[in-house]
Amino acid sequence: MEIIDLSWLQIAIAFVILLLPAYVLWRYRTGLNRKLLTASVRMVLQLLFVGYYLEYLFAYDNPWINAAWILVMVAVADFATVDRSDLRQKAKVLVPIFGATFLGIGLIDLYFLEVVIQLPKLLAAQYTIPITGMVLGNCLRSNVIGINAFYYSLDEHKERYQFYLASGATRAEALRPFISQALQKSANPTLASMATIGLVSLPGMMTGQILSGSSPLIAIKYQIMIMVAIFSGTVLSVFLGILFTNFFVFEDTDMLDESILKK
Amino acid sequence: MDLPEVTFKNISFGFVNESILDGFSFQAPAGQHTVLKGESGSGKSTMLQLILGFYQSKEGHVLIDGQPRQPRVVRKQSAWLPQDLDLGDDSVRNVMLRPFDFAANKSQKPSEAQLEEYLQRLGLGADNLDKAFRDLSTGQRQRVGLAVCSLLDKSLLLLDEPTSALDAASKRKVAELLLDSKRTIISTSHDPFWVERADRLIELD
Repeated sequence: MEIIDLSWLQIAIAFVILLLPAYVLWRYRTGLNRKLLTASVRMVLQLLFVGYYLEYLFAYDNPWINAAWILVMVAVADFATVDRSDLRQKAKVLVPIFGATFLGIGLIDLYFLEVVIQLPKLLAAQYTIPITGMVLGNCLRSNVIGINAFYYSLDEHKERYQFYLASGATRAEALRPFISQALQKSANPTLASMATIGLVSLPGMMTGQILSGSSPLIAIKYQIMIMVAIFSGTVLSVFLGILFTNFFVFEDTDMLDESILKK
Repeated sequence: MDLPEVTFKNISFGFVNESILDGFSFQAPAGQHTVLKGESGSGKSTMLQLILGFYQSKEGHVLIDGQPRQPRVVRKQSAWLPQDLDLGDDSVRNVMLRPFDFAANKSQKPSEAQLEEYLQRLGLGADNLDKAFRDLSTGQRQRVGLAVCSLLDKSLLLLDEPTSALDAASKRKVAELLLDSKRTIISTSHDPFWVERADRLIELD
């Protein structure tokens, strides 16, 4: 069966259902309706922009342009990660997190696109853009959890870190429990969704493939691959993000430069 | 074990809009117990942290055996007990063993029998080893911290209010364990029991 295209009128009708949650939010004075309006407008405008942009990207299908688009996505994810992790937008934080995310995404893309799927054309847009987008979106979420957990736990339990240093630990040894805790916190949501996938919800990529006419068996193979890519990408980018920022945010005395925290 | 002598030479230090030490000098002789006594906020705890290089003074120098102290060097020869020790929710056993995972202390890793012995010397039963560190009382946590400081067997002990949450019997045990050994000890305290046991008393205004 061919996919049913949606007219703009049908999209407008879809929005009518928002009146129900908007009423509940208004009735209980949550103050969220203004946010709902802003978020809805932003969502439509951003997706319109991306939709038109991707039309061109798919039409040209040039590996250089595709790579440039990945760079733009990583840069936007970098600013969003730092902002949502409650860290200040300083070069000593932005640059290492950009490097970590780019390296993590680059490795995952090259491995899954070129080694696993074996694309006939380098960085073909049809595969590169959606897979990178899915992995990067999850990396962003995990980076926010992991980097926030690491730096704010280090600040909250400063005396514990200092106790380790004062007991003869190197900086890397004293930071190890904080890194371990941040990795646990950031990896847990992906592990939980891997464990319940297919039972609790049908994942977005699989749904999209089935809607566009793929057989469910092809869709689940891609979904399995993408979950492995997401888990590997998120752990890698959180770990590298912490590792790379650590080179820049500690003073010679091994103390954290607290000016990076928005507290 | 070479015992270090610690000297504060004209140290000035403060946080934003708050001066804590202004041209302060004192000497803690090698192998002696020096107690820093003063009101809350007089900078006693900060002085221990200045020795460890967690803070840098605005003016003046912290000297170890007459040489400017190198934070990473002094941390290898010291053990520090902060006032409110928080080592997480791991078991007491793991918390006590953790410092011995560090390369600098690996060769001194204590046996189970030593862990039990040091806890018992401070009046804590061996059954505490399996308890979560977080579930202990403040006084019990303090004694676990003191046991770790003692097991680390360092030449410089920096103790921040080591008896503040202890009863009389526990204080005596702590004094027996720590003060009878040959080390340079710098501690902060208001406690008359502990202050009486100082070789040298420095009173801060």
